[in-house]
Amino acid sequence: MNITKSSLLKKDWFGLLIVVLLSGTFIAVLKPAFLSSFNLYVLMVSVSYMLIIALAQMIIIAIGQMNLSVGAIGGLVAISFSGVMEVYQVSVPMAICIGLVIGIGCGFLNGYITVKSGISAFIITLATLYIFKGINLGITEAEPFYKIPETVKNFGNAKIGESPIPYLIIIPIIITFLMWVFMNRTETGRHMLAYGNSVQSAELIGISSSRVVITAHVISGLLAAIAGMLVVCRLQLGTPNIGDSWLLPSFAAPVIGGAILAGGKVDVIATALGVLIVAIISQALVIFKIDPFFVQIFLGVMILLAVFVNRYREYKQEAGRKIFNND
Amino acid sequence: MNKKIPNFVFTNQFGLLCLVVIFVIIFSTVTDGFTSRFNIFALSRVVAIDIMIGLAMMVVILTGGLNLALGAIGVCAAMFGGWCMETMGIPVIPSIFLILGMGSFLGWVNGMITVKTGVHSFIVTLATMSIYFGLMTMLTEAEAFRRLPESFTDFGSMKLFNKYVSPLLLLSLATCCVLFYLFKYTDIGRKLIAAGANPDAAELSGISVNHMFIYCHMLSGFLGAIAAIMLTTRIGAAIPSMAGQLGMDWLLPAFLAPVIGGTLLSGGKLSVFGTMLGAILVTLITNGLYLIDVGEFWIRFFLGIILLIAVLLDKTREFFTLKSVIVS
Repeated sequence: MNITKSSLLKKDWFGLLIVVLLSGTFIAVLKPAFLSSFNLYVLMVSVSYMLIIALAQMIIIAIGQMNLSVGAIGGLVAISFSGVMEVYQVSVPMAICIGLVIGIGCGFLNGYITVKSGISAFIITLATLYIFKGINLGITEAEPFYKIPETVKNFGNAKIGESPIPYLIIIPIIITFLMWVFMNRTETGRHMLAYGNSVQSAELIGISSSRVVITAHVISGLLAAIAGMLVVCRLQLGTPNIGDSWLLPSFAAPVIGGAILAGGKVDVIATALGVLIVAIISQALVIFKIDPFFVQIFLGVMILLAVFVNRYREYKQEAGRKIFNND
Repeated sequence: MNKKIPNFVFTNQFGLLCLVVIFVIIFSTVTDGFTSRFNIFALSRVVAIDIMIGLAMMVVILTGGLNLALGAIGVCAAMFGGWCMETMGIPVIPSIFLILGMGSFLGWVNGMITVKTGVHSFIVTLATMSIYFGLMTMLTEAEAFRRLPESFTDFGSMKLFNKYVSPLLLLSLATCCVLFYLFKYTDIGRKLIAAGANPDAAELSGISVNHMFIYCHMLSGFLGAIAAIMLTTRIGAAIPSMAGQLGMDWLLPAFLAPVIGGTLLSGGKLSVFGTMLGAILVTLITNGLYLIDVGEFWIRFFLGIILLIAVLLDKTREFFTLKSVIVS
């Protein structure tokens, strides 16, 4: 693959990178406080778990489905993780394992029921959203777990040396890299994109649809679990309402990153940049002291804008293809 | 098709009716308060609103789309109504028309964006949900309208039929009949179904599919606004949080009723009375679970399980009815 100017322009992430740099510079010039080390720290913390939430949704979008239960899985894992440590005095590594297993189990359940019933994942995950959330509330009775071990709390607060970089962001960066390798360089990852593009063709060339769908849902559950535990580290407590507000941002970043909801087209780097754009602009709204409710409106407008831009690019590409065909 | 066994027996509605009867029998024998006048009245008010919400979602599912912004539209319409009546002093009847107009307008915006961009309505309504709700919170500063005219709020506490039934339920049943007539016997209703079932074929036979989709979204907003009016009269105030964060508390009843009632998510098939029975069944089970005392926090869990069982049963029923048709 030789990188030329025109091939760079065609990449999803290139335009987004320019948006990130431009908006970052613009805000920094108007408000130098934006580049203060405290502000950068806050920015990176919010990016850290949003990144994983976005990837958890992105992998399901890749196979042309939706996972409404990402937040519910995150919440259930968050309270299980903090709950076993508080109530049963389980050691931290063990609690992490329990959290991951619950996440994988929830994801497997989503994938298995979707495959076996043939019902759209939207409805299945809507049902499991209420099941997981119901278990969460049934266990906690809406009371948070406060007694989090010091090691977990320290991990949530620590910065690398004197720099404003939080420890929290290390795991998301590793996961983003692994996801990029998975989606672009492994057979299963490519099979997922093929399946998302056309279920029939994928089955005809011998891709097992049940394997692809279940794997995608398991990874989604695993990522949601990691995000849930990171939020516990960050908040220093396990509240039952973790994950309640994840739905909108989980779709916002992949869609801004150019993912097509019908499946078959996602980009890990573009999704990560989508997360960054949302975080930078949300942060800017805070710095400029704009009404916090405006952040919500803004997120909605961003999604619509991204949809329009993607549509326009598709239209351009189609037009280009038609000219090519006429020759 | 074998006409000797009435087709009605094989329909989803018949199964639902049986389930409703079974649950009524179970709950009235197991629990004490189920058949009390107070409980039945309370039930009728809740059912009325859930039916409306279910119908509002059903008309968008007909197009093969979804309306996540339904709750946000409802809250916006209710808050707008509160503003009209309390701040502007507009009389009740014109205010109601304004509320309905507001709901339809917000639905129209959803429809327009969906049709113009060609993007799935899931993502469009996800975005508009947060835009509508955010605008509403900013404009109202999250303050409720609590001094609504009494003639408006009295409607919600009125009791009919020996004080057993709320007039809200009658309104919902009337809406069901109107919608049934619309989809069964009118030209436009048939066109809406045709557009949802197969957009390409509908377009080729001279139906403007885009217009039909916009109408469906408008109708959804309109019905959502009716649900909002009913909820406002029931609570006696217009409160920004009456449908939860971003209006998402309406989503479960909105999807449960049509999906249990046999509306196809891929579009083109709907059942007005199925949706009604679905809403009744869900409210019945929720109410019964409260009375059995399973604990408030486990209710969501059971609702999720019910949705799951309902869709799985529907799948099996489809399988068996298909088989019986092939065999006969």
